[in-house]
Amino acid sequence: MSSPAGMPRRSWRPSTAVRSAIAGERIELATLLRRRVIFVVGKGGTGRSTMTAALALLAARAGKRVLAIDVDAKGDLAAALGSPPAGFAPHVVQHNLSVLELRTDESFQEYLNIYFKVPRLTRLTPLARVFDFIATGVPGPRDMLVVGKIAYEERRKEPDSRAPVWDLILVDCAAGGQAESHLAAPKAMLTLVRGGLIRAQVEWIDALIRDSRRTTTVLCALPEEMPVVEAIELNERLRNGSGVAVDVCLLNRAADEPVTTAHRRLMVAMTDPEHADAVAQRLGGSAAPLEAGIDLQAHLNDTTARYMRQLRGKLPMPVVPVPFIVDRTGLTTTRAVADALSSRLS
Amino acid sequence: MSGDETARVPERRRSVRKEPGGLGRRLGSLEVVICCGSGGVGKTTVSAALGMAIAAAEDKRVLVLTVDPARRLATALGIKGIGAEPVRIPKARLRRAGITITGDLEAAMLDMKQAWDRMIERYSPDRATAQRILRNPLYQRITDSFVGSHEYAAIEALYELHDAGEYDCIVVDTPPSRNALDFLEAPSRLTDYVGSRLLSLLSGGPSRFGFRAMNYAAAPFVRLADRLLGAEVLAEVSDFVQQLQLLYDGIQGRARSVYRLLRSPQTGFVVVTTVEQGPFGEAEFFCTKLREFKMPLRAMVVNRVLPDVFRDPGGVAAATTLVEDPKVAAWLSKELRLRVSADTARFVGSTFLTRSTLAQREVRQLARLGRIGDVPIVRIPLFSEEVSELEGLVRIAKAL
Repeated sequence: MSSPAGMPRRSWRPSTAVRSAIAGERIELATLLRRRVIFVVGKGGTGRSTMTAALALLAARAGKRVLAIDVDAKGDLAAALGSPPAGFAPHVVQHNLSVLELRTDESFQEYLNIYFKVPRLTRLTPLARVFDFIATGVPGPRDMLVVGKIAYEERRKEPDSRAPVWDLILVDCAAGGQAESHLAAPKAMLTLVRGGLIRAQVEWIDALIRDSRRTTTVLCALPEEMPVVEAIELNERLRNGSGVAVDVCLLNRAADEPVTTAHRRLMVAMTDPEHADAVAQRLGGSAAPLEAGIDLQAHLNDTTARYMRQLRGKLPMPVVPVPFIVDRTGLTTTRAVADALSSRLS
Repeated sequence: MSGDETARVPERRRSVRKEPGGLGRRLGSLEVVICCGSGGVGKTTVSAALGMAIAAAEDKRVLVLTVDPARRLATALGIKGIGAEPVRIPKARLRRAGITITGDLEAAMLDMKQAWDRMIERYSPDRATAQRILRNPLYQRITDSFVGSHEYAAIEALYELHDAGEYDCIVVDTPPSRNALDFLEAPSRLTDYVGSRLLSLLSGGPSRFGFRAMNYAAAPFVRLADRLLGAEVLAEVSDFVQQLQLLYDGIQGRARSVYRLLRSPQTGFVVVTTVEQGPFGEAEFFCTKLREFKMPLRAMVVNRVLPDVFRDPGGVAAATTLVEDPKVAAWLSKELRLRVSADTARFVGSTFLTRSTLAQREVRQLARLGRIGDVPIVRIPLFSEEVSELEGLVRIAKAL
């Protein structure tokens, strides 16, 4: 979908979030990539990993030192960057781009190690299990491990220059609801933990998440009923729950190659009994089945347009269509998506 | 999408002109049908359509128990809203939409909060314990965040409904999970959770003096936890846990009965998936797990399969020529006496080729399904209409 007709192009600024409520307004890629932390969220199957990887490629191309974090740790993000499964330590994928995968158990040990200088010991396992139990019931600890690690990476400095190690951290969040509890964890934890060493840590992590200049969210959706409804609800809950900013919604697998009367006319003429045989001879097969392709394309265009309208009506942010890439997931697909994003995020 | 546009696609119609009775009849003798699969594969829709197909094939009282988070199912079924109380779907409306049901079709929506509250009330040894748990601020958190808590609520509701015996057949739409296994593991996980020794550790065991009276060996851990989290948190958790432990016997007993029901010959699992890699892989995994759990897989429904027309070899050849042959546009212009630009010809070819590439991939993937065992595999073609319309639901019910 090209830029909506008659809509003046305006550059988007974070401080005027309300103004961006105007449908179809654009967000500049440079503005987006100027953040320190970008959480990529959305329902399963909406292409979160591919979008995270594509944004990471674009940021690295722009000369930023990028860390891409996979919270789900199913290896999808690494695969989308053409790398074998990564571990808990940042693993260099290409110049300026590293990836790491979070797993709760390791995160917990690392967390204790980083913040409280508790050695990584196996004899802590019973404690880890007690925590695991509390973490299941009490909001916070488990989710805090995730945001805690991210916040830690954000704060990391080069030992010599004291410059930040990463310019941008991109987080491929776990599916919908989980991402929400990760992001809301600090706030929830602050109401619960009134003392203890953790509180101070939680306070600055909470501040980082709420600072819209440093931290934002990218919402992924598909032109299908449930993913659209959930994207709208997720946006609301993220804003209310964690106070995190949501900058842009990427509508993946958007169909936007319009079927015109010229296409239809060709189709009708090719299948006309008068020409059908000659056409089949010349093309090497009957043209009749091709109509299904045109019909499906027209249907997908309609569906995409309808869901674009719905999203634009309900989301106070630009909604950017990302075309369907037929390739299997992998670096090739990611590159294609990155190219599409860079042309569409003006 | 308008009606006449569909009429131009006879291929899509043909595949659904089957009369109801296939899967509806096969599953109609069961008392419980559980639809499982990853989120986003159309589980809710398929469950509703299955209920419809069963009620059409058999003179039975059928209940569809759904989670329908978008509440569109209610609209599609032509009723104002679905609540915890079952609502009957008017036969006349179904007939107008193209399906005649011999039985009775009702729908109810699962109320998670209510299911949990009732469970606490049922398993508590006395009212005071129940009240204390329900009032605990951690309770809501636990029921929300405990892995499999929604699944457990669904199973509980199913068990109760089945036990009451008001319906011949209950079709359950399982909650969208991160992991389809959550549903199968929920009862045992809850039992483990409530009965775990760690819980006793935290709650200070039967002495009921709170965590300060905790096991001596655990003391260093508790001190550390205390330092990290602050004392109040542990005190609150400990109190909650003590109460929860009183429910253990009840929950354990129920878990056993639930597993008996899930494994019984009156129960059948239907795995719903799409051909996309993620959900498909998970569905395959789930099928093997069902076998491990000794739970009966009765059918697999593959949703949104591209219609066969996209695998037509003649079509592929024609589309390839349109895309690759630089002289084809000129030839077409002359033959058809119509100005055909190269772009137009290429577009008509490429829209078909794109889908046909996907369709080939789908075939390879569907071929893998032979390995899951001897169960019917039903393909539902990708329809060009929205299934939130009743007619769409009916079309799927017929395809089943």
